[in-house]
Amino acid sequence: MKKLIIIFSAISLLVFIRPVLGLGANTTSSNSTVIAEQVDITEGDSIIDEAVEGIKSFYSYTGFANTSSGNIIMIFIGIVFIYLGIKYDYEPLLLIPIGTGVILGNIPFVAGNQTGIYETGSVLNYLYFGVVKGVYPPLIFLGIGAMTDFSSLIANPKLMLLGGAAQIGVFATFLGALYLGFNLQEAGAIGIIGGADGPTAIFLSSKLANGINILPDGTTVKNLIGPIAIAAYSYMALVPVIQPPLMRLLISKKDRKIKMKPPRAVTQKEKMIFPVVALILTLFISPSALPLLGMLFFGNLLKESGRTERLADTARTKLIDIVTILLGVTVGASTQADIFITKDSMLIFGLGAISFVIATCGGLLFAKFMNLFLKGDNKINPLIGAAGVSAVPDSARVVHHEGLKSDPSNFLLMHAMAPNVSGVIGSAIAAGIILSFLG
Amino acid sequence: MTQILLYTDPISQGYVILITGLLIVFSALVILALFFNFGLPVMLYAYKIITKGKDKKISEIKVKGDSNFTGELSAVIGASIHMYLSEQHDIESGILTIKEVKKSYSPWSSKIYGVQNRL
Repeated sequence: MKKLIIIFSAISLLVFIRPVLGLGANTTSSNSTVIAEQVDITEGDSIIDEAVEGIKSFYSYTGFANTSSGNIIMIFIGIVFIYLGIKYDYEPLLLIPIGTGVILGNIPFVAGNQTGIYETGSVLNYLYFGVVKGVYPPLIFLGIGAMTDFSSLIANPKLMLLGGAAQIGVFATFLGALYLGFNLQEAGAIGIIGGADGPTAIFLSSKLANGINILPDGTTVKNLIGPIAIAAYSYMALVPVIQPPLMRLLISKKDRKIKMKPPRAVTQKEKMIFPVVALILTLFISPSALPLLGMLFFGNLLKESGRTERLADTARTKLIDIVTILLGVTVGASTQADIFITKDSMLIFGLGAISFVIATCGGLLFAKFMNLFLKGDNKINPLIGAAGVSAVPDSARVVHHEGLKSDPSNFLLMHAMAPNVSGVIGSAIAAGIILSFLG
Repeated sequence: MTQILLYTDPISQGYVILITGLLIVFSALVILALFFNFGLPVMLYAYKIITKGKDKKISEIKVKGDSNFTGELSAVIGASIHMYLSEQHDIESGILTIKEVKKSYSPWSSKIYGVQNRL
């Protein structure tokens, strides 16, 4: 309390001596002329008046004067994000930057001073450029590629289909969004939340629902990058909460205990061939996904080639860290309350949850379906279908834990990584398709 | 494309995208899977012929490095190496005693040290 009084008196002293020192010139030009005139005419009285005036104008620039209930709610949400990240370890690398960003973006300010993220020329706006133009997501993909080991996929290529099955969540949500009255572009961007892939979601929404594109009927699309990114990342963080009940619901106890035979060892040659071939094949099919898949497989080639360890190391550590920091903070800050708190955002959050559920169910059921055709040793544990919703590597970890719960000697992590990484490829292809249809 | 979208109902357009999209995603992954199931052995075979010039049947080429060396085995080896390498503690004395062996003296907390040893 004492400190508060001291600080307050220091501030008021500063304000008080401002006209004397002629610091008034720092404020806007019209103000300063008034001040100068007043100082000239009457000395003693005007200084006190001026002080009161100064405090008032200072107050009008503070957050306290400009705050709105929306800002308070969003700041609270930001704090909850940070809390979740620290306390429960839910994707702290994402939730803490995003949470901080949410607070940053919702500090109330007087518009026009190039402060806010949506004001051209502000620092945050420059950093946000990477989100709006879809620069960051491919860089993240480069890092993911340099991190990912595709060997379990190469060893068992049929698991690739599980990654495709989970993409049903993308298209089902797309349809749901259409029914809820979003237009095609917006619905496409919302649908990709079901891909459970933050960078892909940001990439697609920055291309489709960016608030710049003009629809055939003359209206501009809404800017949904913020809500979509936040929904995608928060549901990704909630994968350990969303998926286990669905697994228990859909997969019988007996099926959960299926032990898969260990994947064969994959030669280095195969690992080197994979990124090159997959790059060419997938991009010929879906060229719009070029920035994402191109970078993903490029990163993987850096890792597997064995000659570019330095580059791979930078891509998977420093580079992806830098981009994650920038992406997290700017996406968080883009949730400025007056733009973010709308009916649409709430709908997007609802649709996002549904899309995760559909994607998980799609993967699980398709795994069961595949089991109908597989015999004996080759049967797959249907749990790994849930890993088809990318969310690398969280969903694979969840599958692993669920498997351990039913049989403590059943280690599914290696197997679950295959649908997991193919889910990344699948959702990037899906994004490419949606982009080529609607972009 | 946008011209077509203008005159059709978005919902029906949505179904078209739903079906074609899923088909394309699946077909892409199926092609990849097929390639790695069948195409890769052929490629490795071709590579072998180019490099060594030996004549072999495709069925003789094994993709497998060593059938006994499974992923689980390599995981165990990897884990043990990791645990060994990250065990970077100093070797401690191992002597357990109730008495304090060292005095709690430290140049950081010493006043006289700071007085005598000027930098």
